[in-house]
Amino acid sequence: MSSSAPAIEADAVTKEYGDVRAVDSLDLVVERGETYGFLGPNGAGKSTTIGLLLDYLRPTSGTVRVLGKDPRRDVVEVHDRVGVLPDRFGLYEDRSARQHVSFVAEAKRVDDAPESLLERVGLGDAVDDDAGDFSSGMEQRLALAMALVGDPELLILDEPFSGLDPHGVRRVRDIVHEETQRGATVFFSSHVLGQVELVCDRIGVLHEGRLVAEGTLDELRDRTASPDDATVEDVFVELTDARVDDGGERR
Amino acid sequence: MRWSPLARSESRTVLTSKGAWILASLVVLWGFRPTYAGWDAVGRNITVGYIQIGVDLFLPIGALLVSYQSLIGERTTGSIKFLLGLPLTRTQILLGKASGRFVGVGAAIVAAALALAGIGLVEHGPFGLLPFLGTLVATLLLASAMVAVGVLVSTVTRRTVTAATGVFAYLLVTLFWTQIVTSVYTAITGVPVDPYEAPASGPLFLALRLTPDGAYNVLTNWLLDVGNSAELFHIVATKLAPGVSVNAFVVEAAFDGGGPWYLHPALSVVVLLVWVGVPMALARRIFTEGDAL
Repeated sequence: MSSSAPAIEADAVTKEYGDVRAVDSLDLVVERGETYGFLGPNGAGKSTTIGLLLDYLRPTSGTVRVLGKDPRRDVVEVHDRVGVLPDRFGLYEDRSARQHVSFVAEAKRVDDAPESLLERVGLGDAVDDDAGDFSSGMEQRLALAMALVGDPELLILDEPFSGLDPHGVRRVRDIVHEETQRGATVFFSSHVLGQVELVCDRIGVLHEGRLVAEGTLDELRDRTASPDDATVEDVFVELTDARVDDGGERR
Repeated sequence: MRWSPLARSESRTVLTSKGAWILASLVVLWGFRPTYAGWDAVGRNITVGYIQIGVDLFLPIGALLVSYQSLIGERTTGSIKFLLGLPLTRTQILLGKASGRFVGVGAAIVAAALALAGIGLVEHGPFGLLPFLGTLVATLLLASAMVAVGVLVSTVTRRTVTAATGVFAYLLVTLFWTQIVTSVYTAITGVPVDPYEAPASGPLFLALRLTPDGAYNVLTNWLLDVGNSAELFHIVATKLAPGVSVNAFVVEAAFDGGGPWYLHPALSVVVLLVWVGVPMALARRIFTEGDAL
């Protein structure tokens, strides 16, 4: 059952912090093998949603399933099969890149060679350097290498292009392509809208905790009556500038 | 075990930190205290007494300082997002954290105990193996209790400064525990407590040995066979010496016969186990409910 289940299913998921509703009745399905871009302005609820998918946070109401499993009850199996690049993370400053990757590999009980994963993300010459000496781009690459440990079935990347130079951005894009070629599902949030266009099969736009639009770029262009050559940025601005009424439709 | 990589990582963190080795050094420097009172009390086993003296003062604060940042530190730096992404339940994360920190603190404290044993062996000659090994086990039990308290503080709080305040508050309460207990006893019973002539009250004596360090002292005094008390061994021996009056709460000095059953020193093992189990159970309850970030 779970092998054919969607990679991600969120059913009427709401997350509240006191009076603040960070995620509001979110329905989301990401199919296996898709590359899904999860877009939204700052504070839209993207990272909160990712936190709910990974059981970092618990929903106020609604249900979440990842790879057909309950991320709370089946946390070990879900995290075994998922690779995560979190947003606004910190590394262990006194540990080397190799130690970071080895730590995840040991926890996942796989024998991936840290050197090859670090080479893949462009840190081949910094394998034994302490993470405390890394630039933000190197930190991002290291976190990506950690996410790739164990060939995960689902990669959840929260702002993967953050802090990267153009070479780094291209490398992340290439890795996303390689991972989908391998059969993995990739779910990522990003502000770097141009990259989304190059990478994603489908896009979901989150605004004020609600999924206000979803589809391929062409579908979103049609929905917003944008011209055929409109970029993701044009569509995004159009969607998130508009107010959202109670039914979730744009006015 | 799933959490053993995390435990190894945690113990490496402790053992590569200055804190663990400063703790070990302080235990040795403070503990090695040759006194006539100590020698008269236990002879060559004064070497074991050195461990009690050093551990009683420095292990609680040292183990707390080493463990109170175990989770809150990861929260503040953001590395908790990697930790929570590992294929571990939250309970396993707590177990990995606590056991790893315990192994680190335990290794440092065993090194300190062995150093004191070596010094004692050279200075005073052979000592009793049983009291030494028993004290080592009691010391590790105290270390695990303090790590459990530290992990609890780290789990409950959301800011490092709050966690540090919690640790400070705990240390303050245990430092003034005797004064707190005697004041509460007087307030409830109306009987003033004179530590030179302590009332033969079972509940009063029980309360005095409910802190981890109090229970540790009771246990090690039992192993050293000096008397039944939460004070340091040489003070207990002095109190029980004929014709000497000191302000210490010693069961044999206050009660005719050995006092009520629940003051048996062996029950201090239960007290220490409660200090391990209850904080860990509370930490688990808090950490597994609700949001982890």
